[in-house]
Amino acid sequence: MDTFLQIVANGLMLGGLFAIVAVGLTLIFGIVKVINFAHGEFLMVGMYLTFLLSTGMDVHPYLTAAAVAPALFVLGALTQRLLIQPLMSARDEHVQIFATVGLSTALMNLALLVFGADIANTPAHGVRSQVMLGEVRILTGQLWVFGAAILLVIGLQLFMKKTRTGRAIRATAQNRAAARLMGINDKFIYVLTFGMGAACVGLGSSLIAPLYPTSPTIGTYFVLIAFVCVVLGGLGSIPGAFFGALVIGLVDALSGFYIGSDLREAVVFTIFLLILILKPSGLFGTRMNLSHVSP
Amino acid sequence: MTETTSMTQASGGGLSAQKLGLIAVAVLLAGLIAVPVAVGDQFVYHIFITICIFAALSTAWNIVGGYAGQLSLGHAIFYGIGGYAGVILVNLGISPWFGMFAGAAVAVVAAIVVSWPCFRLHGPFFALATIAFLEVFRVLALHFRELTGGATGLMIQLNIGWEWMVFRERFPALLIAFGMLLVCLAVAWAIRSHRLGFYLVATRERESAAKAAGVGTVKVRLMAVSISAALSAMVGTFHAMYLTFIEPESMFSLQFSIQIAMFALIGGIGTVWGPLLGAVLLVPITEFARGALGSEAIGLHGFVYGVVLMLVVLFLPNGIMGVVHRFTSGSEKAEGEQAAPVAAAPRSAVPHEAGREVMRVEGLQKHFGGLHVTNDVGFTLREGEILGVIGPNGAGKTTVFNMLSGFLKPDQGRVSVLSPSGEWQEPASPADFATLGVGRTFQIVQPFAAMTVEENIMVGAFHRHPHVGDAREAARETAHRMGLGPYLNAEAASLTIGGLKRLEVARVMAMEPRILLLDEVMAGINQTDVRRAVDLMLSIRDTGVSIIAIEHVMQAVMSLSDRVIVINSGQIIAQGDPQEVVRDEHVIEAYLGKEFTHA
Amino acid sequence: MTLKTLLTATAVSALVAGAAQADVKFGALFPFSGGLALLGEESFRGVELAVEEINAAGGIQGEQIDLVRGDAVDNNQAIGEARRLISREGVKAILGTYSSSRSIAASQVAELSGIPYFELGAVADEVTGRDLQYLFRTNPTAETMGIMTIDMILDEIAPGLGVEATDLVIGVIHEDSAYGTSVAGHQEEYGAEKGLNIVTVQGYPSSTVDMSSLVLDLKDRGVNIVLQTSYQNDSVLFLNQSAEAGFEPDAIIGGGGGYSLTATAEAVGDLMEGVLDVDFTQYAVNTEFTPGLEDFLVAYQNKYGEDPRSGHSLNNYVGAMAVLEGIGAGEGFEPDQIVAAVQAIDIPAGETAAGYGVHFGDHNQNDRAMMMGMQWQGGKLVTVYPRDAAVAEFQIGD
Repeated sequence: MDTFLQIVANGLMLGGLFAIVAVGLTLIFGIVKVINFAHGEFLMVGMYLTFLLSTGMDVHPYLTAAAVAPALFVLGALTQRLLIQPLMSARDEHVQIFATVGLSTALMNLALLVFGADIANTPAHGVRSQVMLGEVRILTGQLWVFGAAILLVIGLQLFMKKTRTGRAIRATAQNRAAARLMGINDKFIYVLTFGMGAACVGLGSSLIAPLYPTSPTIGTYFVLIAFVCVVLGGLGSIPGAFFGALVIGLVDALSGFYIGSDLREAVVFTIFLLILILKPSGLFGTRMNLSHVSP
Repeated sequence: MTETTSMTQASGGGLSAQKLGLIAVAVLLAGLIAVPVAVGDQFVYHIFITICIFAALSTAWNIVGGYAGQLSLGHAIFYGIGGYAGVILVNLGISPWFGMFAGAAVAVVAAIVVSWPCFRLHGPFFALATIAFLEVFRVLALHFRELTGGATGLMIQLNIGWEWMVFRERFPALLIAFGMLLVCLAVAWAIRSHRLGFYLVATRERESAAKAAGVGTVKVRLMAVSISAALSAMVGTFHAMYLTFIEPESMFSLQFSIQIAMFALIGGIGTVWGPLLGAVLLVPITEFARGALGSEAIGLHGFVYGVVLMLVVLFLPNGIMGVVHRFTSGSEKAEGEQAAPVAAAPRSAVPHEAGREVMRVEGLQKHFGGLHVTNDVGFTLREGEILGVIGPNGAGKTTVFNMLSGFLKPDQGRVSVLSPSGEWQEPASPADFATLGVGRTFQIVQPFAAMTVEENIMVGAFHRHPHVGDAREAARETAHRMGLGPYLNAEAASLTIGGLKRLEVARVMAMEPRILLLDEVMAGINQTDVRRAVDLMLSIRDTGVSIIAIEHVMQAVMSLSDRVIVINSGQIIAQGDPQEVVRDEHVIEAYLGKEFTHA
Repeated sequence: MTLKTLLTATAVSALVAGAAQADVKFGALFPFSGGLALLGEESFRGVELAVEEINAAGGIQGEQIDLVRGDAVDNNQAIGEARRLISREGVKAILGTYSSSRSIAASQVAELSGIPYFELGAVADEVTGRDLQYLFRTNPTAETMGIMTIDMILDEIAPGLGVEATDLVIGVIHEDSAYGTSVAGHQEEYGAEKGLNIVTVQGYPSSTVDMSSLVLDLKDRGVNIVLQTSYQNDSVLFLNQSAEAGFEPDAIIGGGGGYSLTATAEAVGDLMEGVLDVDFTQYAVNTEFTPGLEDFLVAYQNKYGEDPRSGHSLNNYVGAMAVLEGIGAGEGFEPDQIVAAVQAIDIPAGETAAGYGVHFGDHNQNDRAMMMGMQWQGGKLVTVYPRDAAVAEFQIGD
């Protein structure tokens, strides 16, 4: 029983980790409607920035988020403005996907070029210490990630519901043409959203960096998992992405224990496929939100 | 989707451009054999074998990714299946020439299993699903070691000779790779220039319009995926023999899948020759770049590769074929820029009489959530009758239409159609309706934008004429009848709204329907055209076709309809002779509000 | 062409000043780009140093060696580069390859072309398991590693803990590529042969970000000896998450990879103390058993301006030296002459810089190749097993 509780706790914590990556992706995938294959590389860039800043200036890695998140915002906004926006009019959405594949390849290899294939270790500054909840052990850093994910979801939700800009973003997501008619600058909204999505993962990277070794290829694992979480949660739904991530975290941890660690990926992707096929609006989506499904 | 590769035997200038193109392709293909033979160097052989393999895989991918527009990033599944089938069978003493077909068969089964549930997913979702399938295949290949050898992979015995596809010299391997490339190109070309290709592109461009034109959209896509998977698997078998060693990491690789798609993208997605061009250009460049940059520093080569990919996508979104097309089409002038009149055939003077019943609609009910959009709608349609359907906006007319053509399933009630052989049938899908001769247009026009006008109409004409020649003939005839003759070779996207409406009708007419459902074909066109359209519809009716027409243009409804149905709030509130119906007070109320009822 | 090559060229010409121009070509096929580039390059450095040393001493059969690089970034490319080296460069033999799958793919080409292929670093059994005529392997294999791990448990760990070896509860975990899978396979097989109680063998992808379930599984099964064959990321994850889950096995034995790298030790800090590792010979070893190791280190330092990043360069150096000197003692560079020459090689253990001897036995595998047992002590990876190569005491139990 203790083991089971510990696995559940591990799964939830892992879910929190996935969530903080997936929330940014759901903004980009759900609103700008671009499959951003470079999202994992955004995380990687953020983790390296955190590593450089926290070791270079000897500050707590969490503090670097103040610089990393804005930096990632700029990276995201530039990606949208310079790479995706010129392709928005392309009749073929394949093209955008390949653009982000190109970006992903370029960023990953740039990291390899600059940092080499060795791992980089961000100092933990105490976030690797443990707290005991009954018999269950959890790292403080994992709790921070989990808490930050919740705050991020609530904050984004409030932003989307209460602010003018947030409402404009939602309007654009639902119907771009109509939003434009209403005087919303859709191009700006997309740049902003892409930037925000990247900034979210930037925030996440500062929290994740002290927990995991950073390497140029760390993003590749996260990006596919994050897509799974986003689709599971319902496209464009921020709380959905969060809960989707928790589900995937739990599935991952439980299948790793009960089915076998070599098959856990297969389990996760099979669940993903079942959701895609049987309930494409996602586990938590209330309405069909697949703009790409034709009547 | 990018290019309107004109499948049409175009005018003089086009023909020579096409000939030039074919000569260029022939030279290119000859070069693939001639260069390595002339240089006679093993490494050059290897490069050219690699080109052939990539070009063949990319051409096969293009049938799904390009023609059908389903972005598969999991094509390595099929390639890997082919490779594993080949190697496993070789180690059991079975020649890869058989293994190749065994692999193809397994790949076809996998393709159907993988894609059938995924076809409702479009664009990015389909791409993600294929990636997920690929990951699952890779993990399973790692897991089932008894069969696949697991992570350590499998290798073949080095039995030399044609029956084992393993050679000391490189020439036979090149010959096989080249042969496979030719097979892939021939299949791709054949698909593109036959009905299946038209159907695939039509499905890609407008799925619902394709369905209405009688295209079994799921069926044609499954065919495309199956063919593509079979070809990929066969190439995979050969490549495995060439590598002599396979492992899950390299056979079920996402990187590899992306690379295959990329050659097509850079060459020109959806074109027959694009993937070939992409591979011929990129493989040598990649090899060279790797030599020049690879040793400089770890990651430099990959970085440059990524940047170049972004630049290509930004500045050549239509690939090399896009550039080629821009040059050749510059010389090709669009014919007939002047407005063409609708040359409707003169009506026969014979007064007409409605015949037997051809369609029965009984008690249709439809809810959307809490909204009762169709409530007990029922009527019959007779042969050679024009039935006008009117009603205010939002009354539920189009919903009824969707149920009459199989696009929506009614919650209750039924639609039966008299088959040509005289039995009553209850069709369920758009394809069933089309088979029984029910054709429809869409309120919002749905042209296949990447096709020419002629090709658009041909999609409809294929319904009765499976052969390209006959279909083209029928399409031309229909086009002339609909006043679209001068625009045959124009891209559909270049037509005006009036032209598009006519194209919409022409596509349905080319299906030679027995029952024609017209959804506001006169909305937004000018007075003269309305009069012409009315004449046209009457002449169609006179050939024995029954028509149900939703219309807002009252003048047209009154002069056209033999009978009128008025729908409001999902219910039929009046039906009968047009002149009587417009005097019905419910109708006036519905249209104009209560205060006008007694005016 | 590049600054580095230019410098290399200058260094070579300085070393061989006055010697005849290079006139016999050998291929060096390694992954120089892509994911395996770091250790591919490291391996190549060993070969490069060996060639320089031989050239400085007058070459082989009176001729200078010209080393031509080939980049084996993936399997298809490995084949292409092997073809290029053979047909365009006209190399007399190929040395390589670090990665097992590249080696298997490329050596099939060499076999078909009848060009000798010398594997100096890839560990998978299949490399020599195919009975190729022209393939020779100098380095120890996955099997050596598996056997060595088990022997270490029998000879040192069980006595050190004061228990019967059969009472130990052993868990084998490995990353799921060819490397981890084949090492784990041999550990399982040989362990069973020795009657050890191996309760689980589990693979996982090396890119994973969570191993907590695996750790809990091991803990649940009461495992007290963990054998992990892994890369860097997963070594770090496992050590961290074990500590976090309160899982403290009596011994952790790494199978090279991440466990031999200083960066891993830095990442996990104190958790690395006492961890065991079976791998190619590394540098903290009894140099009486590894003559020439110190010279190698000096040469390496001089040429690359840094310490070796792993033992790969050393093992490739030893392999290349043995093979090239063997060829030098032969009668020509025709394939059959080379084969005859290397088959005559007979270097006993304790006479190379890696400690092991060289003699090609069954399947053309070097039957004297061996690994070393090492332990992280005070932040350094020191050799502790076998005893005659050890520089420090085996520390086990309390």
